[in-house]
Amino acid sequence: MASSGQSAVLVASVTALEFLGDEFLLTGEGPILSVYSLQTSPTKCASLNVLQNFRIHGIRPRTKPQSEERQPNTIISSEGSVWNEEERLIVFGGKGVRLITFSSQGQCLKPSGPLFELQDWVLDIHWLEGEPHTRLAVSLAHNALLLLEAESGNVLCFYSCVETCLLYSALIIGSNWDSLVLVGGTVFNQLVLWRPRGTKSDGQSQVERRLLGHSGVIFNLCYLQKAGWLASASDDRSVRVWNVGSLGGDAGCGEKLPTCLRVLYGHQARVFCVRLTPTRVFSAGEDGACLLWEWEGEGKVGRTFRGHRSGGVRALAVSEGNMSCGGGWVATGGADGEIRVWRVAQENKKDEEEAQVDLGFKARGCPKVIRLVGEGTDVKTLVCTDQGEVCVSQSQIWDVIWQGGADFHSYCVMEVTSIQKFSSVVRICAVGNINGGVQVFPVGQPDVGVLLQAGHGKVHSVLWVKSVFDGCEGLCLLASGSEGMVYRWKIGVLESETGLQIEKKILPPFLLPPCAKRWLTAAVALSHKEGLYLCGDRRGSLLLYQRNDQRNKDLKETENRQQRAEQEKLNKTENTISVKENIDPLSPISTLFGVHGKQGVTSVCEHQGVCYTTGRDGCVRILTIEEKVLTVRRIQRACRGMDWLEKVLFLNSHRPELEERVEEREEVTHHESIAEARFVMVGFHSINFVIWDPHRQEKLLSVSCGGGHRSWVYRLPTHTPTHPQPNMLVQGTLVFIKHGAVIASRSLASTEADVNGQTLKEGFHGRGIGCVQRLGCLANASSELWEVFVTGGEDTIVSVLAIKPQSGTVKVLAVLTDHISNVRTLATVKRGEGNESGMDESTSALSSMVFSAGGRAQLQCYRILIRLDELRDQPVCQVTQIAGHRLDEQWERKRNRHKTVKMDPETRYMSMAVVYDGKECVLLALGCSDGAVRLFSVTESNRRIEMLWECFYHQRCVLSVTAHMLKDSQGKDLLLLFSGTTDGCISVWDLTAVLNSKARVSWQGPTAPIFSIPVHQSGVNTLALSQWRVPGQTEENLISLASGGDDGQLSLLHVIVKQEQQENGDVSLELRSHWSVPLAHSSPLTGLCSISPDLLVSTSPDQRMCLWSVSSDGLMDPQKVLFSHTADAAGLWAWSEAGSGGGAWVVVCGQGLQLFKLTQGDMDKQNNAVRQKGEERRKVMFSNRFLKT
Amino acid sequence: MGRSSKDKRDIYYRLAKEEGWRARSAFKLLQLDEEFNLFKGVSRAVDLCAAPGSWSQVLSRKLRGKDKSEEVKIVAVDLQAMAPLPGVTQIQGDITKISTAQEIIRHFEGQSADLVVCDGAPDVTGLHDVDEYIQAQLLLAALNITTHVLKPGGNFVAKIFRGKDVTLLYSQLKIFFSSVTCAKPRSSRNSSIEAFVVCQNYSPPEGYVPNMSNPLLDHSYDVDFNQLEGPNRIIVPFLACGDLSAFDSDRTYPLQLDSSKEYQYLPPTQPPIRPPYQQACQLRKNNLLAKEDSPSGAHDDALSSLDLNTSQDPKTVISETH
Repeated sequence: MASSGQSAVLVASVTALEFLGDEFLLTGEGPILSVYSLQTSPTKCASLNVLQNFRIHGIRPRTKPQSEERQPNTIISSEGSVWNEEERLIVFGGKGVRLITFSSQGQCLKPSGPLFELQDWVLDIHWLEGEPHTRLAVSLAHNALLLLEAESGNVLCFYSCVETCLLYSALIIGSNWDSLVLVGGTVFNQLVLWRPRGTKSDGQSQVERRLLGHSGVIFNLCYLQKAGWLASASDDRSVRVWNVGSLGGDAGCGEKLPTCLRVLYGHQARVFCVRLTPTRVFSAGEDGACLLWEWEGEGKVGRTFRGHRSGGVRALAVSEGNMSCGGGWVATGGADGEIRVWRVAQENKKDEEEAQVDLGFKARGCPKVIRLVGEGTDVKTLVCTDQGEVCVSQSQIWDVIWQGGADFHSYCVMEVTSIQKFSSVVRICAVGNINGGVQVFPVGQPDVGVLLQAGHGKVHSVLWVKSVFDGCEGLCLLASGSEGMVYRWKIGVLESETGLQIEKKILPPFLLPPCAKRWLTAAVALSHKEGLYLCGDRRGSLLLYQRNDQRNKDLKETENRQQRAEQEKLNKTENTISVKENIDPLSPISTLFGVHGKQGVTSVCEHQGVCYTTGRDGCVRILTIEEKVLTVRRIQRACRGMDWLEKVLFLNSHRPELEERVEEREEVTHHESIAEARFVMVGFHSINFVIWDPHRQEKLLSVSCGGGHRSWVYRLPTHTPTHPQPNMLVQGTLVFIKHGAVIASRSLASTEADVNGQTLKEGFHGRGIGCVQRLGCLANASSELWEVFVTGGEDTIVSVLAIKPQSGTVKVLAVLTDHISNVRTLATVKRGEGNESGMDESTSALSSMVFSAGGRAQLQCYRILIRLDELRDQPVCQVTQIAGHRLDEQWERKRNRHKTVKMDPETRYMSMAVVYDGKECVLLALGCSDGAVRLFSVTESNRRIEMLWECFYHQRCVLSVTAHMLKDSQGKDLLLLFSGTTDGCISVWDLTAVLNSKARVSWQGPTAPIFSIPVHQSGVNTLALSQWRVPGQTEENLISLASGGDDGQLSLLHVIVKQEQQENGDVSLELRSHWSVPLAHSSPLTGLCSISPDLLVSTSPDQRMCLWSVSSDGLMDPQKVLFSHTADAAGLWAWSEAGSGGGAWVVVCGQGLQLFKLTQGDMDKQNNAVRQKGEERRKVMFSNRFLKT
Repeated sequence: MGRSSKDKRDIYYRLAKEEGWRARSAFKLLQLDEEFNLFKGVSRAVDLCAAPGSWSQVLSRKLRGKDKSEEVKIVAVDLQAMAPLPGVTQIQGDITKISTAQEIIRHFEGQSADLVVCDGAPDVTGLHDVDEYIQAQLLLAALNITTHVLKPGGNFVAKIFRGKDVTLLYSQLKIFFSSVTCAKPRSSRNSSIEAFVVCQNYSPPEGYVPNMSNPLLDHSYDVDFNQLEGPNRIIVPFLACGDLSAFDSDRTYPLQLDSSKEYQYLPPTQPPIRPPYQQACQLRKNNLLAKEDSPSGAHDDALSSLDLNTSQDPKTVISETH
């Protein structure tokens, strides 16, 4: 199959969706038709490229189970099966139409004929009844209808409307040709209805009905025969439902005076799709939302389905659904390539289920603190009141289980935990008061509690920490008292004849660093490093403490024993204050002071060896502890305005059955993971409790609770695994205290939400992808490869993604959201640990420095480690944020900036190149929109980015930069920078001096380039250096530089570096040759890469990928041209395959991403003859107006 | 970011406001003229899809010159009404209708036009294949009406998207004009696929009868001259036009361009005319968009503004000002 260049992987906008019953979903992504089976665990079962260079815009199965939408009388067979085992589909898009057969038994797709290429754009196709030849009604963009034989593509009839204006959408209604009705959404924002066999004037049909009201063009239509409703979705952001009556057949064009029944405004942007069912309207659009409108109540939004990225929803399908199996499906396809499905119940029980429920809390006083304890079905809610009472609830009845004395009135803190004791679980509650008292008691037997003393002042917080004491799991209670003292006890439970008994042991307290609000807010004992505690305080500091016994291990054993003996002795007596003061408090061994801001740390936790902390600065910090020092790897911000984070929840992004297997084996092959887990952020966004998924940039849950200043608990649905799937979080319940009442966000009795969404296919980058770089590849045991890339997009996101070309699997490993504007350019350097060769050896781990830059003059730097998880055969990735930099940082810090006008240009970074990769620092050159070329140094060790040089010589936008280092005849390094500008000039700068300069900061830098040459008519979009010298050339200092311009031209310069002639040792350049292909592409050349010295590859928004063979003197010949499905191509990266295969890979990014595989044959110079593709393609002619040259 | 940020990001937007042009696209026509001398000897010009009218403004300023007694006639055609311009006759009509072509000829007193320009762009969908196709159809509709009104030897200038099927359009245009050039004015952003076809010397094929009852359809790829995947393509020369010393549309300039002149924010010359999202934005502003748990507030208002019985055909309305 891989005989010639072909697409291996395509990520593109999903532009067509259609259900086959409730069992299969058909999807169109670019030219590729896929089928997903929806049974139990949805999987893709077949995929086929059906439309060649056209994009699929519609899929029409022969028998349409959603009979309600079009045909009133579809026969449903007695077996209940609504489609045949061999289902015929018509797939269309652009001018292409193709008949496909889907076998539901074999689950395969095969074409049933050639691709028909029509003369006009197809908007809708409708199967017509009639044997033996299957006929199709085809609606065309110029308001015309075509009758076509499905198998042969023969044109039987052609009718056009008297109004030949352009349509944006069309819908064919009726069952036989003679009585069809066509609804067209015109370029003039109108809906026109006409019949091909209707009233004629000059052979063209008259418009019989006209629906006015939309103030934008109409993107999509849907008709519900049973009700006589027509729905339209428009550019004006509204959906309208029209009472058109019965259409087609004897009814003709239906109601004489159609009226508008509903005007539905609810979308924040344009509405692209609409579907009707007898009780509902579904609409989806550019805002990424799919709205379910209940027909009753004059257009009420019953449900909002969210989840697609900024590009919005492009395709929508609704299955008719079967009452018996829990309702139908809704599927949405996004511009991000994501496909989601939801179950929708027939009856909407949402009203009862979704309403917030008062849990009927009644006691003396107001509830203050609420906690949950227990697991699975045995969950108890504990509430502590301002009267010092602790109440417990199980099924709506509240029992007071403990009453504190006057000491516990008006102020208390409470925390609950559970501990496994033999066969049962014991829940223990700790309540702290204003006078240093901490009552600890088992929830099941409150009378055996003990009162501990945590100093004299207010107990700011109590915290339970599960820790390891001498190899055994135990509980540690922390109570934060006055003056930064955190008192600690080891708490155990003993069982005796009389019941439970609390066992306690005083541990040395922690001392918090001095500050105004000096108390503890979060703590965790690190499981992999015994004796280490990570704590967070109200000042926003993260503190690492080491347990005394651990710290003193190296000290004399005797001393240690003595201390322990003393402790034990003391513990036997009742705890007295004097005892504690004898134990010296422990100070932190590592501190990150105030990192989470002045509002404090809210949680700390550890997951698979990595620590995660949250704060009221809206950030999650991901940390590792190396050599007992806290190191922040990365900061993840929540969405805009979500500044109050409470905690993180870890997700399981894998299939559950696989997960079980892996967990079993994890015990055996346990090793410290470097990778971050998938997590969601839990916090408050103004008055709402929100769960935010940073990976997908999506709100999973939002509950209006009044904001963060309250006690709350979030309860996952029963039977949820420890690490749930994202969609399970939606079904969780928030229980919170508001206005003296305990309220649940939904009924605790309801088991499952009526809407249960899941992702069939993961998407990535909602909008254009501006740049792509390859980091390398990983090979698993069976030497299958994972190619790893980093991409940057208009959606301000930098993604790390892995593609397995053999299977076409695409996996997003990390989503970095530090940019505030468009990411335009990326640069990478390899950081092999041990292996510094930098060559393309596939390994099991990759390490790279990644730089990203773009709008608002922002530059970010990361260290990315990728390792293959052999068990799951999936790469995992750890990101360390090294530094960030913005040119206008000073201005951002100005206090009165809203009052002044910022006079500086809004500089964008257009292009970036690594100039020099030193051991301790990397030098980067940036082309900037304000006309400057800038040089930055990035130092990993001290996490600093510094600007070394800027030069405004160009005075126009610098579109491209690249750098080259070479050795002169004396073996000295020469460093050259190339810049391309909007006037079509390429300039060369000598930056050699920066290498020798010890103090780079004081380096002046050149004020003008050493060489400049006009190459293009307009902007130089891209520059590519041939990595190796042109063979056959003996010149030592020959540089081969290719460039692509806005004029579509491809140029190749050969430049010789001369140094000897110059007296001062400065470099001079001489142009050796200059070749150009003037119209290499018919649109701007935007991506260019050198695969080998004699092979270049280029791309452009003309959607062609061209391979150019380069002769030794620089002459370029087209070698191969391939159509690419990536519109608006912005970047390209190519590399030759490792090993003997001799092939190469090319990845193109733009509106989506496409990976091509090139074989040796494609690149072979001898094999120059261009082969036409053998794929069948037939032109269908119908217009005498077709003019030929 | 503030209201002045667009002034910084887009120098031609700012210059258009300073020089009183209705849109920055005025500079594109001026720069095309610099290269091709489009206005030389032109006394009858048509501006198709004219709103908001910046190209008509250029035609008006350039053609009528200082000597206003000259017999210069300029006709601007658009579906939308636009603010009147001196010396420009407006026809509110559809360019796919023969009646519009007849109306133009009537204004030229039976004579044909020397120059037809079209800077029209469709409502974009964001799907590139659809947008490129619709832009191509707009250009072909403009070409079709041009075949009715342009004199042999006359020139035609239109906006084109340099997308995946642009060679099919080139092949179509080359049938009607002896010289077709793809031109990119420097005021058009480097990053955009927008360009202009400058078609010179109208010379339709022998025996060609202009016909507007059917649309002109674009060409398709073939195996010999214009291949989908292969080295053979219909190409037209590319020309970047405008002075290199002019402002760079891709550069971001500081607000203070000239130390002698203090920066001053100027409001746009012409706000957008009734954008499709107008009502939706108004509803959003007043928090009336339907959400879960709140009914659509738009319903009644929106319905009352509907009138289903009014006549629909966009009538040809003529207004004239001098």
